[in-house]
Order: sequence, then structure tokens, then C-alpha cells
Amino acid sequence: MTATHCPYCALQCGITLEPNLQGNSPEPVSLTGRDFETNGGALCRKGYSAAKLLDHPERLQAPLLRQADGSFAQISWEHALDLVAQKALNIRAESGADALAVFGSGSLTNEKAYQLGKFARLALGTSRIDYNGRFCMSSAAAGTNRAFGLDRGLPFPLADLDGAGMILMLGSNVADTMPPFVRHLAGARDNGGLIVVDPRRSATAKLCADNAGWHLQPTPATDLPLLLGLAHVLVTESLADTCYLAARTNGFDSLRSSLAGWWPERTAQVTGVPAEQIRHTARALAQAASEAKTGGKPVYILTGRGIEQHSNGTDTVTAAINLALLLGLPGTLAGGYGTITGQGNGQGGREHGQKCDQLPGYRKITDPEHRAHVARVWGVDPETIPGPGLPAVELLDALGTPTGPRMMMIHGANPVISAPDASRVIQALSRLDFLVVCDFFLSETAAQADLVLPVLQWAEEEGSMTNLEGRILRRRAALAAPENARNELWILSQLAQRLNAPGRFSPDAQEVFEELKLASAGGLADYSGVRWDDLDAGAAIYWPCPAGTEVRAERGIRNGTPRLFLDGFAHEDQHAVLVPVVFQPAPRKNNSSVSLVTGRLLEHYQSGAQTRRVPELAQAAPEPRLEIHPTTALAHQIAQGQKVVISNERGAVTARALLTVDARLDTVFLPFHYPTSGTANLLTEAKVDPHSRMPEFKHAHVSLSAVKEEQ
Amino acid sequence: MNEQRPQRIIIIGFGPVAASLIEGLLPAAASGQCEITVISAEDQLAYNRVLLAELAVGAAEFAHLSMADPQRLADAGIEVRLGVRATGIDRSRRRIHLDDNDFVSYDRIVFATGARAVVPTLNGLNFEPHTDASLPAGVFALRTVEDAHQLRKSIGLGQRILILGGGVLGIEAALAIARTGAQPVLVHHGPTPLGRVVDADGGALLTRNLREAGVEVIPGAKATGVQKDARGFTGLMTSTHGLIQADALLISTGVRARTELASGCGLPVGRGIKTDEFLCADTEGRIFALGDCAEVSGQPPVGLLAPGWAQAAFLSQLLLQLTSSAASEPLAAPDFSASDVLMLKGQGIELTAAGDISAGYWDDTDLQATVYADPARGRYLKIVTRQDAITGFLAMGLPQTSAELVLAYERGTALPEDRSSLLRLDDPATDQISAIPSDEDQLCRCSGATYGQVSHAVDAGCTTVAQVGESCRAGTGCGGCKSKIEELLSKAPSLA
Repeated sequence: MTATHCPYCALQCGITLEPNLQGNSPEPVSLTGRDFETNGGALCRKGYSAAKLLDHPERLQAPLLRQADGSFAQISWEHALDLVAQKALNIRAESGADALAVFGSGSLTNEKAYQLGKFARLALGTSRIDYNGRFCMSSAAAGTNRAFGLDRGLPFPLADLDGAGMILMLGSNVADTMPPFVRHLAGARDNGGLIVVDPRRSATAKLCADNAGWHLQPTPATDLPLLLGLAHVLVTESLADTCYLAARTNGFDSLRSSLAGWWPERTAQVTGVPAEQIRHTARALAQAASEAKTGGKPVYILTGRGIEQHSNGTDTVTAAINLALLLGLPGTLAGGYGTITGQGNGQGGREHGQKCDQLPGYRKITDPEHRAHVARVWGVDPETIPGPGLPAVELLDALGTPTGPRMMMIHGANPVISAPDASRVIQALSRLDFLVVCDFFLSETAAQADLVLPVLQWAEEEGSMTNLEGRILRRRAALAAPENARNELWILSQLAQRLNAPGRFSPDAQEVFEELKLASAGGLADYSGVRWDDLDAGAAIYWPCPAGTEVRAERGIRNGTPRLFLDGFAHEDQHAVLVPVVFQPAPRKNNSSVSLVTGRLLEHYQSGAQTRRVPELAQAAPEPRLEIHPTTALAHQIAQGQKVVISNERGAVTARALLTVDARLDTVFLPFHYPTSGTANLLTEAKVDPHSRMPEFKHAHVSLSAVKEEQ
Repeated sequence: MNEQRPQRIIIIGFGPVAASLIEGLLPAAASGQCEITVISAEDQLAYNRVLLAELAVGAAEFAHLSMADPQRLADAGIEVRLGVRATGIDRSRRRIHLDDNDFVSYDRIVFATGARAVVPTLNGLNFEPHTDASLPAGVFALRTVEDAHQLRKSIGLGQRILILGGGVLGIEAALAIARTGAQPVLVHHGPTPLGRVVDADGGALLTRNLREAGVEVIPGAKATGVQKDARGFTGLMTSTHGLIQADALLISTGVRARTELASGCGLPVGRGIKTDEFLCADTEGRIFALGDCAEVSGQPPVGLLAPGWAQAAFLSQLLLQLTSSAASEPLAAPDFSASDVLMLKGQGIELTAAGDISAGYWDDTDLQATVYADPARGRYLKIVTRQDAITGFLAMGLPQTSAELVLAYERGTALPEDRSSLLRLDDPATDQISAIPSDEDQLCRCSGATYGQVSHAVDAGCTTVAQVGESCRAGTGCGGCKSKIEELLSKAPSLA
């Protein structure tokens, strides 16, 4: 029996794996829910069926090299590694180290994320590394860093939500994306206090029914003004916590003047949310927050990708944080603000140095002291560490351009499906001289590669993950890997040798973790007091956990820093910063277009490279469906179940119409998990946020036309 | 234009529209691309006039109305001169003369002088149109923070306060006063308040709503003068209703653009300072006007903030371009036409109006009118469309519908052919009670377990939700279907 965690989302549900004897079962291990704090033994369909991927027939069995005729041929590891090293050396000699690029992932273990960043900087010598978390958590990270001086998704344990009196959830559909999360909303629902903001009446919005709360349904891309309107009511009706603001924040005067123009009726005209709903919501939040501070139940504001994946995502997160600060919640036991991290290691993945501007321990690559510290741990001269590189969208755009990278290595990501403006991404990849993709299936991105390296899956490897609450967990191997698949740590260590890289590149997860601890010591995300043995014993450890922290493994004991900011925020004066933000309405588009929002289905995870290969999930959601209001469908002469072409200046997608009154009249919804002509990201725009470089995933203008199907 | 020194932009007036313009120019000021000076006759930084009624009744504090942060302006190097009046403009020497005998030089001027309250021609009032009238004791306007402070002193419990004028500001003031326990009396021309945007049916409902909210409404009144005693106002004389006695009078008969400075320096003036579609008021491209003081391509100002803000957003872009040395595409002509939406503010009456709703439903034009009236529930809707795009609407008691109609009106999107589907937005159909689920229907979303699978588990002897979960995984995800499983368990025949 092996206690580990689900391979998918950041909830990192506890599971138990038990190897099945040969022939007893269709799967190599049987997988059951384990009583762990985030899931309480519960799992969703994705989690239950995860073991079906381990001995999947499409599992890659050997390194694959593209042949002259376009097909792939199996080659030996020796040949593959020599080839990668040779290509990298040649290209570097011809065009410089920045002609080499690395693209990482929030699905990699902490150790892999760390080693990948180090490999890029020391072995390749390139500045050009970034990762798919840019498409995920970057706006929330930029917003929380700006306000609090620190970014940890939930700055409190998830279980704190259980006792909440009120929860405002903006742009997150946990009922589909991470179903066991819903158990933590039960307290707020029982209290009539679940408020969901979503342009769709999503499965999560439906949890507000029966007096469990209420749903605000703004038109897409107007979350920012809605938040400004809520904050306006708090300020003008003198409902803000002025004592808290004076004691723990800076910038109220400036914030206040930015809010004066957002009275509820004006907000209603921009968002489509009735003014009375805005007033009612703001007053209810203020009432609940004031009760929370006098012995009542705490109040939380949570955000997800729905409000973050916009070209004003950072400002929108800031507006949500400002609302929480006006209510006097963050850094108290009366509640707080949190962002719900998506990818399995979306938290750890953004701490250990695979971001283009970052070094391990959430350090800045531009800060001389930070560079010096990491250089000491790596045993190199700080001068040898390159400067900041390009964030994901810019990095992908630069591929194969005269000054851009000529070779790229992709680990744990499928940008052909998950990056915006997908046809541009495919073009960019095709401009490369040499594309290496590490994956365990031939993902749509791997299919574009010159060389594909088969790697391990979650149940075959050791490592650590950091979940959505900043708790560090152990991922454990329960069975042997296929003969020819390799651990990415081993791959990087082999390549580092061939490239004569300075520093150590261990193939062993625990050894890498020990080095990660040293590199993170003294940084914001300090892991130096986290002991592997304590993790093994199941100790609940939340970063920062500096060296010397006493850790106890008993159940119910929380170690490290379960709750951040109780004594002060991470800025020098310990105050949080209220940053005024401005809403710039998008110029009006042609009036026959409708708004497209993209998102996820319960059955699929991210680009679908895994879940589309699980038969029961694929059968339940085999193809993209376009959620559309019946009235809008009628106007476009679209019938239930009919195929529809959704198009704009960037591309066209085909999906089957699903008529539902859960949609707004002006908005259609597409899941983004599907390949080829079903890839929703063919339609999204690579316009990015000025602070986080997050692209505009959640809003595009599209035209609809029904496909006349021939019988 | 490629000038080396930073251009000097002088903004005359510091209301909400000027504040929004400055917000847009802030980065350019901070970077030294331009130098900005704001001249304002008022003593305060920009504040939100829309909330003055709340201030007058004590429901908001002045600090909360502030729309500019002095520190932020100072950090960007923007000079603000409060309590200073521009007295004249010398366009040949490009100087603005100030009432403190100083002058400032300019490269560009933006008029954001706004509007002043119109004082009607009544016996006993000084109605000089081009100055700020001094009103007798007990008579007020509500245009400035000073007005609001004055009015506030007169509003006391049981005091009878006349509001002259049936426009949106008068109605909002009357409703705000009603909440304080004073007795507002709305005296207006014509058959209904808001006569310019509501029709007879909507007006009837509005009048009913106002009375229910504690506002006495006197329609069709023609005021002729004010009656005063030694302490001030005592009543309004009318030719239609005789003398209407009250303790105070709030004049809310509209506003007039402040144009005298512009006309004094030879700029053409109509209902406002005349500008072209790019907000430019002179032939040299040095002088601009926006907001309540501007008549943009022949359209008189409408007295709402939204068009002014839309103009500010455009003008900041234009000024950035004009003061930049970098070449750029000329801006396309902006369209401010759809910004005339009126939404009655926060006093329990839900009314939204836009455009022109005068078209009748039997009129033989290309305009189509749709009407829905439900007086018992206080609902009324009239929509006028041309080829399914809204040209005007009035929605009352339908908050969700009106919010959606605003979006459709501003975007110019086509309405559903069946307009009645819009009404359902305010009564979202409750989830249809499905027929008795079949065995193939999904019971548990998270696991995908069907009713058939759960029934099978129950038949096989499961007696608790947990046992059913172990058997078929139903109820083991989000836990949302527990009640459905319990229902099936309770229907199972007892084994005992």
C-alpha cells in the first residue's frame, strides 16, 4: 500500500495505491480515496480513474526521433541524449545561449521544477525559460505580491473554509474542476452565505440555490468594475473597517478616490448585474465581516482563473484583494483572501525558479543579493547566472525568429492546446530547428516535436508537491516504471554531464530536495526547515518553514506557517498595500458577435492529454460542446445537438451545441480540452496583462454559424 | 507636431470628467511628456456630483465623494490650482488670465467647466443666466458640495421641502429626502415626472412609486414666483395650484453649460461650447471641450456623466498622441451616441431609460415597439427597435432585464425576436422538475454514477450513503447528491 496524492489538480487529494497482482484487474494498481485534509477520502471521476493511464497502450515506450519522411522512429536513450546535447552545443555556438529555450510546467514536482530552472541557467546558460503557470497563476501571483508582498495561493489552510459564514467566489467553478473542494463550502452554504460570481450559472453557481447563497452573473470581462462597484458601496456607506485600514494598510485615500465613480447603477450598466444585487452583496459582506470580528464565522474572498485570465487580470485580482482589505479580513482569523491554484503543483511550480524572472525560494533574478545566494548554493559565480528571460507568450512568439530561440525543450506542458491563439503557437513551434518534448503520451505538442522523450508518471516517481494551501506533500512511487521511460531528473542530470554543466544535477528526488531547501533558505518561499522524513511521516508543513522549525507529525498539528500575515504582511512596514486600479472598457466590437468564455469540464483536466485517454471520461465528454442560451441559439438558427462553427479573425472551432438557460444571452462557453478543430484556444487572443503577462483566455468575440449536416 | 519641450495642457474645471481625463493623462505627465495644470474655481478636488443628494441627507460623507488623490497628482507633477477662476483667454499670446491677476501660458486648453443649475424665471429670484445666482434663504440648488451643505441644514424631521422639477436629479433628491423623515413634495411640469424619457403608462407607474415612497407629487404645475418672509422662503406661487406652502425649495430645473469664458475669447457657443466630433473647439487644434459644457458635433450636453467619461477616455488618447513626438495612426472618430442611459439611483425604484421611446406600436415606420405592463407587480417595459437593435427603452421593476437591455443598447446587438424571453431574465425558470429519472440518468455528477447503479447498490443491501459510495462511488466526490441517495435508501423495503 502506498499513500500518495492524485496526479491532477492542486487539491492533491490523498489516495492509496495497491498494486494488483498480474491479471487480477485491468489496472496495475487499485486506487482508493484516502482520508486527507483537502478531500476527506473523497475523489472525483478524474481521480478515481487516474490509474487507467499507468499501463495505457498509448504510453510512450522509447525515445522517438522524427525521420525525414515525417514519421517517428524509436531510438536508444544514449543516442537521444547525445543528440540533444549536440544540438544544444551547436546552436549555442552558432547563435548564443539564448537561442536555447525551456518551457516548464506547474505539473512538475518541486524537484523537477527546481532542477529544470537550474538546468536552463547553468547547463544551457539561457535566460529563456518560462512555464505554463504563466497561463494559470501569474495574475494572482502578481496581485498578491503587490498587495501582500508574498504569493501563496491560500494563505490559510483549506479547512479554515469549513467554518466560514460567507464565501465570495469569483471566477472559479470548483464543482467541476475540483469537486471535493465543494465539501469545504458546506458551512457557508448552510449559513446562506455562498456568493458565486460567474457569467455562467455553473455547477458551482448552482450550489447557491435553495437559499444557500446567491449568484451574480456579469457579462464577461467585467469582473473588475463589479468589484469596484462592491468596494464603492463599502466606502460610501461607511461599511469599511477603518480601524483595520489605518493599522494594517497603506493607500486608502488613493483607493477611495478611485472608487467614487463606481456607484451601483453605473456598475450595473457596465456589468449587467442589477444595482440592488451589488448593494445587497456589499452590505451582506460587511455585515458578515463585522460579525466575524466579534466572534462570528469568518468571511473569505476567493478568486479563480475566470477573473484572472484576462489582460487586466492582475488589476482584477487587486480589486478583489482591495475588497477583502476594506472588509478588514486578510491576516486575521476573521477570514481573508485566497486564490485557488489549479495545476497539481501550480504552487510549488511558481516558487522554485522556472519563471523567467525568478530564482528558487521565490527570489528575484534581478536582485544581486538573491543571485549571490543562489550562486553560492549552486557553486557558481553569480555572473554566470543569466538575467531575466521572456514570459511564456512572448517566449513562444519569439521562437524561430532572427533573435529568438532555435531549440526548445518542453516538460509537462501541452501549449498547442493550452496556449492562446493556438494556430500561432503551432507556427512558432514549427519555426524551431529542434523541439524536444518530454511526456508520457504523444500529446499534441509532442506530435510537433523532433524528439520525444518518454518520462515517468505520477505513480512511478518520488518527489514533493506543494498544494493550493502551501502545504508540502510527498508523491510516492507505487510501481515500477515501464522499462524505457526515464525520470526527468535523470534526463537533466545526463544532459548536464554531456553539456559539462557546472554544479550538481542529481537524478535522485530526495537529493535534489535537500539542495532546493538550501537554495530557498531565507527566501520568501523558505523550505529549509522541511525534512523529507517529516513529509514521509505525513506531517502537515506549510511554507515558509525556515531551518530549525520544530515539526511534529501528529495528525491535527500544523507546522511551519499555516496562516500567513497574522503578525504583519510581507512588505517592509508590514502593511498591505491598497493599489487603486482603473477599468478601461474594451472598444466596442462589431455588434453581431457574441462573447466567448473558455473553461473546463468535470471530466477533463487541462489540455486533456491524460483524461481524453481514459475511456470512461472520454465517453462522458467525447467532444467539445458549445454551451449557448436557447434564445441566442434560435437567433443563430442553431438547434440542440447541431454542429456549430465558432470563428473570429484568429481561427475557427467546431463544436456541438448544448442549449442551456445557464448561459447568458450574450455569451457562449467552450471547454478548452480538445485537439484539432475543437481547440478553443484557436479563438483566444495572445494580448497580455501588463503586470503578469497573462493572456486573455476568458474573453473573445466570436461569430457563430450552424453547420448543415448531410445525412 | 514635433516640439522639444513638453507641451503645457491647461484643464479649466475640475469635476468628475476632468478627473477622468487627468487619470488618462497621468502616465504622460509623470514621464514628462506633457505638463498639466488644472484650474478650478471650486475649493475642492474633483468629487462625484451624482452623490450630492446622499451628502445632503447625510447618507454619505464628503470624503467618500472625492475622485482625485492629491498625492497621486503631485507625484505625477500635475499642478492643481483650486479656488482660482479663469477670467479671460488671450488666444494670440496663448495665455489664460486668472482672477488673482496671474496668468498661465498654454499649448492646449481643455474646457471642462461643466454646467450650473438653471434658476427659473420666478418672481423673487435672480435668474441671471451667466452667473452663479445668489439664492434667498430657504431656496437651494444642488450642484456643488456647498449647495449640499446648505440644503442639509434645512432638512429636518417633518420639514416640508418642495422640489421644483421632475428630472432625475429632482426625483433622486426627493426620494433621498423622504428617507430622512422630512416631507418632500415634487412639483413638476407636464403630466408625469421624467417626461422626456417616460411615456404616459411608465409615468403613471413612476408617480405611483414615488407616492408609495413618501413623495407627494404635484404634476402639471406652472410656478410663477417664490413667497418669502423675513427668514426666507415660505411657499411657491403657481398659476395652476395657487400657493404651495413649504419650509424650503430645492430648484432642480436643469443645468446650463458654463460657456462664458469660451464665448469671451471668441469660440462659437450654442447650448455648449461647440466642438467637432473630435472635441476640438478651435481651428488650430489647441482648444478642446468636453462634458457638460460641450456641444459635440451639434449634440447638446445631456447632463449625464457617462458621455463625459467616454469623451474623457477619447480626449486623453488624442492629447497623448498630439503631445507625443512619435508618429501614430490618427484616431478614428469616436461615437458617444449610446451613452445616454439613465438609471434611477438606489432609492428602491427601479427605472432605466435610454434613447427615444415615443414610437407607438401601430405607427407605420421602421420602428417597432413592444410593451409589457404588469401594474400589480410594479413592472413596465417598453422597447423600441429598428431591425431588432434597440433605439430606446424604458424598464421599470425589472432589474435584470434592464441591466441586459443597457448592454444590448450600448453594443447595438440584436434583441431576440421573441422579446418576451427578456422578461424571463427577471424570473429565471426554476430548474425544471424532471420527470421520474430513468436508470440511465446520472445521479452523481462527480462519479458519473447513475440512478440505476445506486438503486442496484441499495437492492444489493447497502443501507448508508457511505456503503453506497463504496459500492458505486456515488456521493464520494463533492457530496452534493447525498440527499438523492438518502431518498433512494429510504424508499428501499426494510429487511426487517
